[in-house]
Amino acid sequence: MFDRRLFRAGGPVKPEEREWPTFRSAIGEGMREEMRRDPGVIQMGEDIALASPFGVTSGLAAEFGSERVRDTPCSEVAVVGAAVGAAIGGMRPVVELQFGDFMSVAIDQLTHQAAMLRYLTGGQVKVPLVIRLPCGAGQGAGSQHSQALYSWFAHVPGIKVALPSTSMDAKGLIKSAIRDDNPVLFFEHKALYRTRWPVEPAFRDADFLIPFGRAAVRRGGKDITVVATLVMVHHALAAAEVLAADGVSVEVIDPRTLVPLDMETIVGSVRKTGRLLVVDEAYLCCGIQGEILAGVTESAFSALKSAPRRLGNPGVPVPFAPSLEDAVLPGRDRIVKAIREMLAT
Amino acid sequence: MSEAQADDAMKLGLLRTMLLIRKLETAWGDAYFNEEIGGIPPSLSTGQEAVSAGACAALEQGDYVFTTHRGQAPQVARGLDPKRIMAELYCRRDGYNKGKSYHVTDVTRGVIGMGGIVAAQVPVAGGMALAQKLKGGGRVSVAFFGDGASNEGAVHETANLAAMWTLPLILLCENNGYCITLPVAAAVKTASIADRAAGYGLPGVTVDGNDALAVRDAVAAAVARARSGGGATLIDAKTLRLGGHLCHDAQGYRSKEELAAAWERCPIKRLRERLLAEALLTAEAYARLEAEVDGEVAAAVEFARQSPAPQVREAYEDLWA
Repeated sequence: MFDRRLFRAGGPVKPEEREWPTFRSAIGEGMREEMRRDPGVIQMGEDIALASPFGVTSGLAAEFGSERVRDTPCSEVAVVGAAVGAAIGGMRPVVELQFGDFMSVAIDQLTHQAAMLRYLTGGQVKVPLVIRLPCGAGQGAGSQHSQALYSWFAHVPGIKVALPSTSMDAKGLIKSAIRDDNPVLFFEHKALYRTRWPVEPAFRDADFLIPFGRAAVRRGGKDITVVATLVMVHHALAAAEVLAADGVSVEVIDPRTLVPLDMETIVGSVRKTGRLLVVDEAYLCCGIQGEILAGVTESAFSALKSAPRRLGNPGVPVPFAPSLEDAVLPGRDRIVKAIREMLAT
Repeated sequence: MSEAQADDAMKLGLLRTMLLIRKLETAWGDAYFNEEIGGIPPSLSTGQEAVSAGACAALEQGDYVFTTHRGQAPQVARGLDPKRIMAELYCRRDGYNKGKSYHVTDVTRGVIGMGGIVAAQVPVAGGMALAQKLKGGGRVSVAFFGDGASNEGAVHETANLAAMWTLPLILLCENNGYCITLPVAAAVKTASIADRAAGYGLPGVTVDGNDALAVRDAVAAAVARARSGGGATLIDAKTLRLGGHLCHDAQGYRSKEELAAAWERCPIKRLRERLLAEALLTAEAYARLEAEVDGEVAAAVEFARQSPAPQVREAYEDLWA
């Protein structure tokens, strides 16, 4: 079960947490720094100048003006396409789609144009653009505003995919995304926006970057490897805490980017623990969970002590009713149960 | 050179460009029928040469054009090297894109080859226009698209966005009368595609797309407006496709009479007759021009034939920047 209590939406903040940046302010701060650094960085999206629904772009229009922070009409095809063209023309556009699910509206501009134009032109153009996609379930936002569709885009060559899970990563990854010369999809889980996370001093450094393709080991362990993304990282950590009381040692790995994917860290961990569970909100069929399982199975089959497992959306639209939404999502308790079953075999 | 002389040279240049487009593309079609090249059959611009020749004559270095699947005409009209165009169409390494794709591109001359997805180039051209506007310098972008593409949402959205942002964009509909087999009159219920411009708050211009000089003048006016900050223009350049959708298309869906009438309006024939009547051209000079273009095309074909195929490792290159 998905545990809503893990993510206090605007609830009381403990005194020691007051200094911790929220996830959304970390993204906004990263973008602000990159806009100061590079006049070619521009923003496009619906309502981003005055009142974007999740507030990530707050203050950017006031500082950088309406030429660089451009409110757009509801025209995802034209806006994503314009970002592609502006990128070819030497800008570094950052597009916010109000909900990541809306990427479907403009999928041709992403998968055929942004992702392929460099290849098709024999390397004559580059397409440095970032599309920010608020994603994920747990807020009762309904089936068409709650999906985790990154598997669609990781499937297509030419698109990088970032999945930040903490404030530190959110800032370091958005800055890397903006400086990257390739198209990047930046998935922001809506349940994380208002959460606060401790950061290291490097967070304040204007050149603080988190490189793509380097997973984070969120918790070391020896009995099982859990690979999880976005909100599921925190559910996996909560599960590891529960199991630690039983003497079970869980290693939690957060890939941070799906493209490129740090299989080396994941496979290395499985060689140590001998067990693998992948947890993600994505639909299980052709989902990223299966891709990670396949990669580990191909390269470390003999290290596996039990069949690897996946948790995810079993294959229904994310329900609008909160009780049903919780039921279809993986969460701490389901992770604990799966791990206990795996360790029993 | 006086203004009149420059104008005469421009007219002769348009004729030469159209001839080169026609003959280069014919040679490409021949290469398909001769089985020198395979793959998807060539999409030729036969009969539509005046649109690209006229439009590109109104552009300068630094301007961009975004092409369609029928994109060889603007490539030639922008001054790309016929040898390297042909090498690309033969999938050879000396082609503009290293022989790896159909999308002939030359960023140094502002040609971005698109067209695999109908109308997808139009929003991208809008984005280039945005970059040009933000950078300053008065550069413009031209989005070529067909009457078929005119019904795509990508065109409608981009036209609206171009109006909202006053983009230096020319939305140039190369209306050849057919979306493969579907006549434009069946699929567009306004007299001109340019009539739709009013719905976006843009100026709309209809021009005889088989008159290279008229196209040049219409595009030049739109370019001047865009350069001076006046924003985008939607142009319906009404031309006629003389060949099939692709070169193997026998056009069973068009009558002999319709095609014969279309050939009477051939833009090369029209400009040639006009220049002969204006005494800017003689029959002998035209014969020399044709022979010169034939030689250029033969050299392009030979160059393509001699160029090697890409190496296998190149299939894995140029994906990531």
